[in-house]
Amino acid sequence: MVPLEQLHLNHVLQTVSALESVILRSFGPEGGQVLFTRDTGQVMLSRSGKRILTALHLDHPLARMVVRCVWKHSTITGDGSKTFVLLLASLLRIIHATASKETHMFQSHNSTKAAEAATARHLADKLLEFALTELDKFIVLNVLPHGFCVSLENFTAKTQHNLSFQTLLVSFFHTRLGYAYCDFFRNLFCELLSHWKVKDDQPSFSIHLLNNSFPALHTQVSGVPVSCSRLIEGQVIHRDFATPCPQVRKQPLKAAVFNGYLQPKLLTTGDVLELRCGDKVTEDRGIVHFSSWTERSVESIIATLQSFGVSVLLCALKQSTAVLAAATQAGMCLVECVSEEEISLFTQLSGVTPISDCRRIHPEHIATLTFCKPLLLGAHRCVHLDFHDCEERLKVKPCSLVICAPSEGQADQHACAFQDAFRMLLTALEPMHKTQKKTIPSEECTSLHADNISNEAACRVHLHQKCVIETGCVISAGGTFEFLLHHALHQYGHSCSVSVNTSAVSQLLAKALLSVPRQIYSHNLKHFLQAQTRVMALIPRQPNALSTNLIHTEGPLADGKLSLCSCNKGNMSLKLLDLGLESVSCKYQLVLAVLQCLTNLLRMNMLLRTHTILHTKSHNSLNAHSESSEDEDED
Amino acid sequence: MSRLVKKSPSVCTDLPLNSSDVCNKLRLMKELLKSSYGPTARLKQVHNNIGGAVVTTSTSSVLLQAISCSHPIISLIKGSILNHVSRFSDCGLFASVFCLSLIEEAGRCGLRKDVMIRVYKHLLSLCTAHLQQEDCGCKVKLDFCSSRSLITLARSVIASKPTCVLSEPESAHISRLAVQAFLLTVPCNIPDKVRLGRTVTIPIEGHSVLESAVFSGLLLDTPENISLGSLCSPLRMVLFSASLAGDLSELGDGRIEVHQGVDTDSQILDQLLELGKQVLKDEVKLFVCQKVIHPVLQHYLRCNGVIVIERLGISLMEPLIQLTGAQPVATLHTTIPRAAYGEVHNVSVRQFGSKTKMHLHPAGKTTTCTMILCHRNETMLNELKLVCQKTEHVLRLTLREPCALLGGGCTETHLAAYIRYQSKNDVSESSPVLSCSQTEYLLAAEAFCRSLESVATSLEHDNGASLIDLTHAHHWTLPSDVTEEHLKDATALCGCGVVQSCQNRKWSYLNTEYAEFSPAPLLTAAPLQPTVLDSFTAKVNALEVAVETANLVLDVRYVIQDVN
Repeated sequence: MVPLEQLHLNHVLQTVSALESVILRSFGPEGGQVLFTRDTGQVMLSRSGKRILTALHLDHPLARMVVRCVWKHSTITGDGSKTFVLLLASLLRIIHATASKETHMFQSHNSTKAAEAATARHLADKLLEFALTELDKFIVLNVLPHGFCVSLENFTAKTQHNLSFQTLLVSFFHTRLGYAYCDFFRNLFCELLSHWKVKDDQPSFSIHLLNNSFPALHTQVSGVPVSCSRLIEGQVIHRDFATPCPQVRKQPLKAAVFNGYLQPKLLTTGDVLELRCGDKVTEDRGIVHFSSWTERSVESIIATLQSFGVSVLLCALKQSTAVLAAATQAGMCLVECVSEEEISLFTQLSGVTPISDCRRIHPEHIATLTFCKPLLLGAHRCVHLDFHDCEERLKVKPCSLVICAPSEGQADQHACAFQDAFRMLLTALEPMHKTQKKTIPSEECTSLHADNISNEAACRVHLHQKCVIETGCVISAGGTFEFLLHHALHQYGHSCSVSVNTSAVSQLLAKALLSVPRQIYSHNLKHFLQAQTRVMALIPRQPNALSTNLIHTEGPLADGKLSLCSCNKGNMSLKLLDLGLESVSCKYQLVLAVLQCLTNLLRMNMLLRTHTILHTKSHNSLNAHSESSEDEDED
Repeated sequence: MSRLVKKSPSVCTDLPLNSSDVCNKLRLMKELLKSSYGPTARLKQVHNNIGGAVVTTSTSSVLLQAISCSHPIISLIKGSILNHVSRFSDCGLFASVFCLSLIEEAGRCGLRKDVMIRVYKHLLSLCTAHLQQEDCGCKVKLDFCSSRSLITLARSVIASKPTCVLSEPESAHISRLAVQAFLLTVPCNIPDKVRLGRTVTIPIEGHSVLESAVFSGLLLDTPENISLGSLCSPLRMVLFSASLAGDLSELGDGRIEVHQGVDTDSQILDQLLELGKQVLKDEVKLFVCQKVIHPVLQHYLRCNGVIVIERLGISLMEPLIQLTGAQPVATLHTTIPRAAYGEVHNVSVRQFGSKTKMHLHPAGKTTTCTMILCHRNETMLNELKLVCQKTEHVLRLTLREPCALLGGGCTETHLAAYIRYQSKNDVSESSPVLSCSQTEYLLAAEAFCRSLESVATSLEHDNGASLIDLTHAHHWTLPSDVTEEHLKDATALCGCGVVQSCQNRKWSYLNTEYAEFSPAPLLTAAPLQPTVLDSFTAKVNALEVAVETANLVLDVRYVIQDVN
């Protein structure tokens, strides 16, 4: 008999609340670090919700499921994992309260528990449906006018755009690394981006490149203060020279990359070499003949490389002593065991292909370097090289990042923050819903801002606004997004034009959203009220401001360069800059992800604990646990 | 499969710094490290529960490695300090005592942790900016024209490790040797890039420390029956990096089937002897192999008057290549190119007690040298070897930044006085920037200064009192058996030996309050030479690492321990 466990709403709520209590310590501007040890005894530090939650090693299947959802969400967006749990917990709490009050909706159920569960599920489904269809509209109409656009086009210039881009990064690093280092890492990040910015190309291309090759691009150094972190030109290969590196070199120098062994393996596994007595071929030398053949082939490869003028060899594998000695004698420096990522970055930047067959070496295998020298980073000696004509060929200035910190855990934390910053920027800047573009029925537009714009204009405007959300809109942090959306949903819920059901749902979401700023200002309730008043003060002016702005900026909007309200709301936005900025698109994705997770959670009613000999990953089998009687209580 | 155990959930601790258990552990660690600080430190014996070797030490790197941590916060601090020591070899105890004091003081003054972090960071930047200034009162420019300040620096490092049990002349001797070895590794003719040579250290047990010596060139273990006939200099030598034992390892993973009557061994041996003949023809007098040489080949070469050295080991390969200019050979079948041969000027045999060593004299200028270290027993010898390596590292750091800081606690008291003065003066500007009140700022600054002073205080272990003079802010110690009048005696010197006592000087005990003042620079025409110096690079880094680690620990709000 498989043990059955009924899942009730309060179980779910308990589990998520437990997660929330862990998260809260590092949430918001006042939050601190979470220190955790791995089973290897390694000490890690983090303020990233994703890492904290995965470090917990949870046993409860529901908790695991939540953690998995958080993990998925933050792997894509690189941000928002703590808000995820917070919002989820608050939604569950409100749903729980509502469901226990409104059990009469499903009178047909036997127990109150079942009725509660049914109401909760019903609400969750409605919420998700509402969010999927209506939420983007609310954001576009009520949140975007208070935000502004960030683009990578001109982030180096001292403009408003630049300022907002930098503020976005500062707020991100603040949530990840704390107050002490956010400015420092922001500068480092911008410098890195400006070096890697491909001229005359999509800015997101370079972020993509950096995101993908970040492991090969950065070096962690421990035992040195954080302020020693810096950029160095060229690429760092995290291996030492296997042969002594000659001191004086002509420049530029040539390099080649090898995937395999330079010395041919005479016998591969399974081959048999038979040595017979009196064989005519091998009679005089025997086995010595074979080993001298392999040595001669090494010499011929080295000779070929010399004829191309190659003096640096990068090898993916460990080479034999004969190869090392031959390379030393030929005055070449050889680097062994270069990792796959570093080789792929090297080939990408130098534009050459690795040599896999040593007998065929062509000029396209030979890269040109400006220098190649040993570099001491912390305890390790690395190879530091730079490419000759990278600026002409790829239009970038390649550079590597050195991240320093007193302890390994901290250096690792900083590296993770960098990686997540790339992800966050990609989510913020990347066009996400190109296909979702649709025209809103005109009567809805008029109902929302029926002041003095014609239906036609409003609809056209709406299309343009859609473009803005796609190219990286940001809004000041500190709960502004939540306050605005709360207000809009609240208003919407009270307006007469909507059905009772939708009204309830939007009220529910509005209430839940408010829990996020409440936590941000949890240490001081006065600040919460101040912040709310400040944001609310913006709202009444909104319809007018919106209309004027739209008319003014319709043209430039087409190239996605100008923000909606940067022109005449500049003063207000500048004041809000002190709070930092966050990406609207990340926030939107977050709300959707939370609601999806919520629906999934509430669809379950039973837990089957199966026993197998091996302890399998239970979250993979979670889908099997989800209950089958979905259809019976849907209306 | 039955060994597969389900992972147990992690153990969580909320707000670890508020728990008295964690605070007690941190205090215990601080007391432990404090008592190991300085030249009069109390030694620690480390032995494990399964009867391993007993280690006696007061060195932070050994001590911290031996502590097994019961709490992640302690291992966080430990990791940071060990990383610092592995980069800079010095000031590990300074960093750990300072870091732990900062944490303790932050807990004591009861301010919000984020305020503490901000103020600490601000004060750290004040400190580093002050230390980088040209006219900083606790900085000394190193003069490379004379070896005196280098020897003082080396001696301060060596004297701060009492486990070596060195007498006064012995530590002077070792400091001189360390500086000599360091100078030998600096190349004379500098190309575009300086590359320092290597010092190979050979420990020899059972002899007096004063018999330790430094030689230019390399000393290698000798084969038993060495015959140094009439050798004309320079000697040609060859260096093999591949094994010459007669194995063929590079053929691959396949199988080899040998039919009856085929003698592969003799075929390979013939090839090796062939190689021997070529070497003889090229008039090689010294034959060195990293790995094993076939006994027949060895015998053949020896009979023909060649000195054979085998099993050199990978660690000596690089110094030998640097010394002789030889290129390692790894091929058996091709003729050895002329360029691969190296040269040594001469070979002689040296006797150190029971050990016989062959001394390879360099043919030209070299940056490779050998240091023979002698001591009476193994424990002291191990510590001495460690200390010499650290000293070498510290001396090398002076090439990067030719400065040193005053030792003996004077830098700490000077910095404390400076910060106290500065923080009082800039309180109105700094506190709004750091978003804290003026009182909070001053309280945190006081905590910072007290932590600095507590490091200076921990140099004293014999119940003596620590004092600060109120003009130059140097550190003075008062032994427990004398009164304060003793300080007025003109012969008394401060911790670093730069300031001399005089009648109208005023002192204050370090743990008492005194009116803030700006430390006055020394204006005498012929200042006294400091007797204790600390490495500038290492100390500045230690200061930064300590504050950053303390800030990190203060920022920890939650601990998740994986107990698997």
